[in-house]
Amino acid sequence: MTKKPKLFIAVCTLPALLLTIIFMLAPMCNAVYLSFTNSTALSVGSNSKFVFLDNYKYMFQDKLFILALQNTLKLMAVVPVITLFFSLIFAFILTQSKLKEKSFYRLIFFFPSIVSLTVVGIVWSFVFNPTKGILNHLLEILNLSSLQKAWLGDSKTALWCIAAALIWQAIGYYMVMHVAAIDGISSEVYEAAAIDGANSVQKFFLVTIPMLKNTIGITYVLSLSGTINLSFTLSNVMTAGGPNGASSVLLQYMYTQGMRNANYGYAMAIAMFTLAIAVILAVISRKMTGNKE
Amino acid sequence: MKRHKRNVKSIASKIVLRIIMILFTIIFLFPLIWNLISSFKTNTEYLTNPYALPSALQLDNYIAAMEKANMASYFGNSVYVVLLATILLLLFAVPISYVLARYKFRGSKLIITIYMGCIFLQATYIMIPLFLQLKAINALNNLSALSLVYAVMQFPFTIFTLHGFISTLPSEYEEAARIDGASNFKILTRIVVPLCKPGISTVTMLAAMGFWNEYPLALVLLTDEAKKTLPIGLANLYEVQKYATDWGALFAGLIIVLIPTMIIYLFGQKYLLQGIGAGGLKG
Repeated sequence: MTKKPKLFIAVCTLPALLLTIIFMLAPMCNAVYLSFTNSTALSVGSNSKFVFLDNYKYMFQDKLFILALQNTLKLMAVVPVITLFFSLIFAFILTQSKLKEKSFYRLIFFFPSIVSLTVVGIVWSFVFNPTKGILNHLLEILNLSSLQKAWLGDSKTALWCIAAALIWQAIGYYMVMHVAAIDGISSEVYEAAAIDGANSVQKFFLVTIPMLKNTIGITYVLSLSGTINLSFTLSNVMTAGGPNGASSVLLQYMYTQGMRNANYGYAMAIAMFTLAIAVILAVISRKMTGNKE
Repeated sequence: MKRHKRNVKSIASKIVLRIIMILFTIIFLFPLIWNLISSFKTNTEYLTNPYALPSALQLDNYIAAMEKANMASYFGNSVYVVLLATILLLLFAVPISYVLARYKFRGSKLIITIYMGCIFLQATYIMIPLFLQLKAINALNNLSALSLVYAVMQFPFTIFTLHGFISTLPSEYEEAARIDGASNFKILTRIVVPLCKPGISTVTMLAAMGFWNEYPLALVLLTDEAKKTLPIGLANLYEVQKYATDWGALFAGLIIVLIPTMIIYLFGQKYLLQGIGAGGLKG
């Protein structure tokens, strides 16, 4: 090996590193610092006071924050499980069945996950629209008009409308990830199962799921953090957190506090709290699936 | 006889499976197709029956979207941001990925660890500090500044992926070129970049797609109507039209956002799907 070209290495690494520090690490440190201050639009920087954990303590007396936390936890409990369940079944069908048009299904099912989330949010608002919506129209055709309602305007259903949109756009994405993982299982395993007389359902539950344990652990973590993150855009576009906070989520509430009310300190405490949840969950799920990568 | 029975059974299960898959195809497509059909309808047609087909394929909504609803300017802004951000991303990320893959130097391990850790850091968490920072240097409502921020946000995933890709490439070509007296810079541009084409295509496509769809940062960093990108402009239009019930232009706008996405998807499917395995795109 030739001598290390120091100048070349420096020219290649320093610009990218410098930009990373300016636009990623510095804002991150600033976020942590702001979360310990009472900064607002009027008192950023030297005028703000260091209040240590006050913002974090206040959070748990703030009813709207608790509502946003509960909503986020509800989404995290429901969305990843349903998303992964369907994506695994579709991945199984795409790899194991003999349907000729398999690649067509893959093309269609994956498409929603590359659609702009703004578009997803608006299109699904029309699905749930009270007067012109697809869902209410469907209920009418099925003679179930009594179930019709203003889905996004009702505090009982608004959050679940966001969940539906989240699941719809994520299934195809995880399906593709699981297809790649199932392709990695040797076909001999399935052949052996077939010789033992296993049918497709048994193959799915007794071969595919156990063999993909590690992959599912990873996709589950990705789906959890995706739910926290993507629910911001959908909640903001579809309902703006309404009615009365019934469909607000943590990052959406952070945005409201930070950009609408200009409570930068408090908003950053919420952001750090949310980030902590995401990191802790990732660590726990990794430990549970025994993945030691 | 037994074989015949099994055949009937397998054909029947195939049909059931097919029906289920077609049902889900409809669930995945219907909202988008309904949107497409609505974009060709006049407002009266839409309001009288949102489920009937339009009487004619009229493009009035698209013209209204482009001219009255500012869609043309949003479109131009989005194209500018996507192109600039993608160029900046490759310009900065390719050299550092190459150096990290080929040389061990003081801090090289730390740099890789930092980028790996940052893959999970989403822009939404730091959008307010970024807003304050850009405000302080008077760079709000600046499309070039937004492009640079977009590029940096994509560094961790891109560098991580390219670093992995380059590490698997054999280094013989580079050494042969070095013996021939090629400079390091020439080796990078003439040999490594062409060899990396599949990896670069994948990360470029994922990044461009992400930039085109990006919402949280643009929402915070662009407030001037004339500077808005498509996702922000559309969300705004939706807010306004909720009360004006003039939906035509909005439906057309939604389709306008989707057209480039669909074109990239149809041509670059292979690279995109490869990238998913590596954990790219949104999330």
